[in-house]
Amino acid sequence: MEIKPPVFVNAVPPYGHVIANEKWRGSVLVQSLKGTGSVKTIYEEELGVVDFHLSNKSCILYVSETDIVAGNNYKRKLVRFRNANSSLQGIVVVEKTRLSEQYFSAMQKFVVFELGLTLLPVASQLEASQLLTQIVHGESKDNPFRRRSVSRLLDPLVMSLVQQIPGVGKVKAMALLQHYSSIHQLCNAGTHELEHIVGQATAHHIHHFFHNPLV
Amino acid sequence: SEPPASSSSPSGLVSVLVDSRCITACVDVVSSLRQRYAVTAHVCSLDGCDFVVSNRMAVERQSQSELAGMPNRKRLVERVTSLQVLFERVCLIVEKDRTKPGEASRPFQHTRYYDSTLASLVRAGVRLLVSGGPEESAALLAELARLEQRKGQAISVPLEVKGHRQQALLFYQTLPCVSYVNALNMSHSFRSVGQLVNSSIEALQKGACVSRPRAEEIYRCLRYSCDTTLMTTNTPKNGL
Repeated sequence: MEIKPPVFVNAVPPYGHVIANEKWRGSVLVQSLKGTGSVKTIYEEELGVVDFHLSNKSCILYVSETDIVAGNNYKRKLVRFRNANSSLQGIVVVEKTRLSEQYFSAMQKFVVFELGLTLLPVASQLEASQLLTQIVHGESKDNPFRRRSVSRLLDPLVMSLVQQIPGVGKVKAMALLQHYSSIHQLCNAGTHELEHIVGQATAHHIHHFFHNPLV
Repeated sequence: SEPPASSSSPSGLVSVLVDSRCITACVDVVSSLRQRYAVTAHVCSLDGCDFVVSNRMAVERQSQSELAGMPNRKRLVERVTSLQVLFERVCLIVEKDRTKPGEASRPFQHTRYYDSTLASLVRAGVRLLVSGGPEESAALLAELARLEQRKGQAISVPLEVKGHRQQALLFYQTLPCVSYVNALNMSHSFRSVGQLVNSSIEALQKGACVSRPRAEEIYRCLRYSCDTTLMTTNTPKNGL
C-alpha cells in the first residue's frame, strides 16, 4: 500500500498567494478570493489533509456544514491536521450555519481545548474567502496586537516602587535613591543610616515594610 | 496562614478572579460560574482584564459588535497588548450580541474590518473563543480554568489579602510583568518583602508562579541602579 506523506509543502506561497488543495479548484471560495480579494491561488495535489497554505506560515483546514452534520469523520481529519503541522499555525475554519450550529460548541471544545488549534467560524464559503483574504493581506501590515518587547526605562519604575513604602513620598523617595540606588540596596540598609536621610519615623516605616513578617 | 503549595483546592474546585469593574456587565456570567459550574469567582480590582483563570491566563470578553466597531479598536489594542505583557496567555471570548425580547436575531455580518481584527489577533497569538451568550461564556471560562488546573497552573493561594500583606501586594504589582495574581502568589510565598527582594531568580520564578524571562525581569528591576539625575523632571505615572 502506498503511504503518502500527510502534507507536502513544496514552497512558501509568494506574497498575495495561497496554495490550495486541488479539490478546491472551481469552488466559490477560490473564485471569490480571486475576484474580490485579489488573492491568487496556486493549486497543489499533494497537500494531504490541508486545504490551504497561507503565506504567513499558517495553514487552514476547512470543515464544511456537511462534514459536521454527516458525523465523526472530521475528528480524525482534525487530529491528522494537528499532527502534520507542528511547525505551522493550524487554523480550522468551520461553517457555522443554522444546521451545524448545534454541534459548534462541542466542536470548539475539541479543536481549541483538546487539540490547541485556532478555530474561526464562518457562515459560508464566501465569508471564508473574505477572512482568508484578510489573513493573507494582514501579513504585510504592522500588527497592532503583536506583543512588544518591553524596553521601558526602569528609573521611573524604581521611583514608583519606593513610593509604595508607607510614609515615603516623592521627595523622600528621591533622597533615598540618591544614597541607595536600587531597591535591593535600600532593603538591606540599616535603620541608623536611613534615619540620617529621612528621619526616625520614616526609617522605622521602611524597615518595617521590608522586614516584618507578612501575616 | 498555610503555605500556598499545600493549600491547593480539592480537585474539581477552581478559582477565577473577576474584575470589579466588569461585575455589572458580567453579573450573569458570574452567577452561572458559581451556581452551575461550582467555580469560586472572586471579585477584585484586576485593572486591565475581565477574568483571570490561572496563574498565567487572562480572559477578556467582548461582544461581537464591540469587536466589529472601529471606535473600540484603540481600547482593544491597548488592553490586549498590556495583557500580553502581564500574562503568558491571553484569551478573548467573542460573545454574540444579546437580542431584545421580541426582536428577531439577525445573523451577524462579517465586515472586512471585523475579519482583519480577527486575523491580527490570531497572528498575535491571542486565543479566540466564540460564545453564544453569557451562559456559554461561563461554561468556557470554567473549562479554561479546569484545563489550566490540569496543567498545574491553577490559582491556589488564598484570595483574601489583609493587613500588611495589602501594602506588599501593591508594591509587588508595581514590579514589571507582575499581574495581580502573581502579586497574590508573592504575598503568600515570601515571609517578608525583604525575603523577596533578596531572592534568586529561581526562587522568584517559583514563588510568583511566573516564567523564567519574567522572573529575570523582576530580578533585574529589584537590583537596577537608578540614576536620580534622570528623574529631576516629571516622572511618568506608574512608569507605564
